[in-house]
Amino acid sequence: MKEFTYLTPTTVEEAVSLYGQHSETAKYMAGGTDVIVKLKEGWMEPDYLISLKKIEELSELRKNDATGDLTIGATVTHAVLEKSIMIQKEYPIIHDAVSNIGSLQVRNVGTIGGNLINAVPSADGAIPMIALDGISLIQGPAGERSVAVKDLFIEPYKTVLKPGEILKKITIPAQAPRTGSAYIKFGRRAAMELPLIGIGVLLSLEEDLETCAKARIVLGVAGPTPMRAYEAEKLLAGQRITEDILRQAGEKAADESKVRDSVRGSAWHRKEMIRVQVRRMGLKCMDIIRNNR
Amino acid sequence: MNLKELNVVGKRIPKLDAAKKAMGRAEYIQDIKLPGMVYGKILYSRYAHANIVKMDTSRARALPGVLCVLTGDDVPKKMRMGFYKDNPPLKKGKVCSFRDEVAAVAAISPEIAKTALDMIEIQYEELPGIFDPEKAMEPDSPLVHDYHKTNVLNLPWKLHYGDVEKAEKESAFVVEERFTTQWVSHCCLGTSGAIALFDSSNNLTIYTNTQIPSLAQKDFLESLKAMGLENKRARVIKPIIGGGFGSKLDTYAYEHIAILLAHACRRPVKILFDRVEEFKAISTRQPTVIYIKQGCDKNGKLTFRDMRMVLDNGAYTSWGATTPSVMMMPITSLYRVENVRYEAKCVYTNNTYSQAMRGYGNPQATFAIESTIDMLAQKAGIDRVEMRRINRNQPGDLTPQGFKISSCGLSECIDAVEKEMDIKGPREKGVGFGIASLIHVGGGARIYKSDGCGAILKMDDYGKVDIFTGGTDMGQGLDNITAQIVAEELGLLVEDINVVHSDTDVCPWDVGAHASRSTFVAGNAALGAAKKVKAVILEEAAKTFGVSPDQIVMKARNIFVPGDAEKTMPIDKLLRKVHFSPQGKMLMADYFYDPDNENMGKDMKGNMSVTYAFGAHGVKVRVDEETGKVEVLDYVAAHDVGRAINPLLLEGQVYGGVVMGLGYALTEEVVTRDGKNMNPNFRDYKLFTAKDAVRIKAPVVETYDEYGPFGAKGIGEPGCVPTAPAVANAIYDAVGVRITTLPITPEKVLAALKEKKKRPLN
Repeated sequence: MKEFTYLTPTTVEEAVSLYGQHSETAKYMAGGTDVIVKLKEGWMEPDYLISLKKIEELSELRKNDATGDLTIGATVTHAVLEKSIMIQKEYPIIHDAVSNIGSLQVRNVGTIGGNLINAVPSADGAIPMIALDGISLIQGPAGERSVAVKDLFIEPYKTVLKPGEILKKITIPAQAPRTGSAYIKFGRRAAMELPLIGIGVLLSLEEDLETCAKARIVLGVAGPTPMRAYEAEKLLAGQRITEDILRQAGEKAADESKVRDSVRGSAWHRKEMIRVQVRRMGLKCMDIIRNNR
Repeated sequence: MNLKELNVVGKRIPKLDAAKKAMGRAEYIQDIKLPGMVYGKILYSRYAHANIVKMDTSRARALPGVLCVLTGDDVPKKMRMGFYKDNPPLKKGKVCSFRDEVAAVAAISPEIAKTALDMIEIQYEELPGIFDPEKAMEPDSPLVHDYHKTNVLNLPWKLHYGDVEKAEKESAFVVEERFTTQWVSHCCLGTSGAIALFDSSNNLTIYTNTQIPSLAQKDFLESLKAMGLENKRARVIKPIIGGGFGSKLDTYAYEHIAILLAHACRRPVKILFDRVEEFKAISTRQPTVIYIKQGCDKNGKLTFRDMRMVLDNGAYTSWGATTPSVMMMPITSLYRVENVRYEAKCVYTNNTYSQAMRGYGNPQATFAIESTIDMLAQKAGIDRVEMRRINRNQPGDLTPQGFKISSCGLSECIDAVEKEMDIKGPREKGVGFGIASLIHVGGGARIYKSDGCGAILKMDDYGKVDIFTGGTDMGQGLDNITAQIVAEELGLLVEDINVVHSDTDVCPWDVGAHASRSTFVAGNAALGAAKKVKAVILEEAAKTFGVSPDQIVMKARNIFVPGDAEKTMPIDKLLRKVHFSPQGKMLMADYFYDPDNENMGKDMKGNMSVTYAFGAHGVKVRVDEETGKVEVLDYVAAHDVGRAINPLLLEGQVYGGVVMGLGYALTEEVVTRDGKNMNPNFRDYKLFTAKDAVRIKAPVVETYDEYGPFGAKGIGEPGCVPTAPAVANAIYDAVGVRITTLPITPEKVLAALKEKKKRPLN
């Protein structure tokens, strides 16, 4: 591993300014569960490593009771999200996703922001943020800007972040009443696993508790970036939610997906899992909505 | 022997070095740093099969900090590894697999060594590779080694007892199937490494991760001889190792390269593998293609078993190619079957080569045998548990291969599984039960010319014992077993016994920690030495007490005549008395135990082991019919262990074996593409994690084997032997699909379920 200087700014401004001084020779690091591996493997060789861990505002996890907005700071760890009763009750899809990332040790250190910015197709953390219509707030040398999490990813390991920019937080807008959400990571083992396929579903229902007001179907490892299955979502919108229509949505989502064969699994099986799990997660959403009544 | 009177044997005493390991005080090869030590690194081939056209090491040699660079040209012609002697530590002229070592560097830091490797320029001319062993047997296949003329190795794996063809004709029911098993890695958490150094007289000391100090010493002496260093000494020291599982039963190129480098640069040279190297350059379990036919009469009695295998040997030959010798054991002797035929062909390919791994071929053979036993039971309309009872081995049996079954608790093991698991009971949809049995060597295994182990025991003036054993503790618990046996015999406590092992300068010869033999063989060696010393102590005490030796008891550090309060003294006091008198004595003894087992003859017959271990595993699974995912709900692993010397460690062996077996059955696989390892990391190599592990019940059946130390048999390997077929049988029971290739991934199960739906009902 190449030697580097470790910098620990305490504000976002300071971090951005440090990056300004060292530009391309510097890298940001949050929890480090991806960066340290890249350093050790020699895939990343910075002269300066700028840690974001000492920046207090980045580790904020707060629900604004007045607006219903949820703010998740970029360096909030998976473990903090996993253990939050509020997240478990109100955002089950986040709980589902983060509680199966890596191992206990990885979750204690790894952050939601790092999970997003690492931008792998299999990022568990990205799926709920997209399903919940999350907005990411980014700050860089040119100031602040917002980007929907769904638009954050360009290709594997590449986001829309420009050099020097930092992901500060994700804001989840208030959820509609009668909303249920669920995520499943389908893999071969129970820990230290990358999903073969990751599926998140969110459903909001009308007052009749049957008609779909809003649907989100988000797929991981189904293409080069986490993706929404728009056609499948459209198929559900305004319709009465039944197992049959969820099955159709699963078919549609599988058609929309861009799954491929890899060492980890074959395309046909991944498609099959999308079919099955979109339906199952949809049914789980329905259960959650009914149980919350 | 009144077993109730045992004070130390049979007790749950935690692993003696557990605290040391937990506190990070255990010294692994990673921790050892010698004065003046430099670092070696190995360059591997870029192709699976290629001619080396040109090699330029000049830039690497010129790099400051580099002490020497070696290539195939620097390796003496006679320096060859493996029992087939087809593997030079550095390859010359041609590479035959991706793991072929083509150059090595010693430098003052690992970083410089690595940089130097990057500066070695090699021009290759790629050759067509062959990666399928069955295709490699075809006449027009490319040859892996031209000099060998054929890809099929010249090995004697063939037997035929009784008349299989006649028996097949007379059988009421016959089943036939093809099975395949995969490459899996031992996944030792401690990666491999060695430090070699020469003294001024060219005697070698090598610290290395080995399971076979004595046989490794022989290999290294051969290398020294090939290097022109005749009549030199080789001292092998094995530090604490993070797992063996068979991976360290042969010497590897990296050890011989460390020797070459150390000799070339006159400095201690350390070579340490990283995880990727560990996955790529350490040999795997032997993969197999298995064709099997079994038959029974109308009552379910087995009539014949006919098996043929093709083994992917890889580009070079290590113990993987000899696993058929152990596969023969379940093939000829798991259940009573008189007519047996078996033939195995080992075939060169441009893949990685295989090694010994826990079970040594037995899990592969048992996967095919026990899967087809279920198929046969179904065809014959006989309950599969009853099918196993009908054919079970029994004490006193002589099997077709000439195995003399002394004690045998197979029947009790099957009972124990049924007691813990309602195999015949009702089940929910998608849930199924599976059962599979095992036989394994339990009293040594005469694969090598000697199956012996030596022990030297000395007692000091304070009642403490040092025992120098040939046996090797590699985490399996031989330190405890030795200490418990010696303490029991000499009336001492475990903390009085210091077990010294794994240093060839100090410890006597032993064939190695393999074949589940250490408790039995090294245990008997320790017991033999302890008995010799005990006889002297009793004789001396008899003089002191004025009674005959057989009236005296040694227990809890005291020596006394029961019932006579006057005639008692601490053992250490007696020892001092014996030592500090005119013509005094120090108490020392040596013992060499070589079990009364037999090498296999030309017909492959011979009582390989003094006694055999048996077991039966039961598993309950749930299969998700929409995803193909298999969930293990419950597991029972019952073993006939003779006697549990330490039930705590024994359960640990069983748990570890079962989890390893479950990985073999369900998740683990070295994925290759044209000879290239595609998943050399724990992210993509799906080793079971703590979260995947299931609760395992491990009922112990004690049959008190007459030859074992305190009745014990070996238990090191059995835990992973029948796991895969038990799981495969449970999956069939749950959803009616028979998976014949390992590992049983969700994809395979789902594909089979879809296939089944397409077929019309029969």
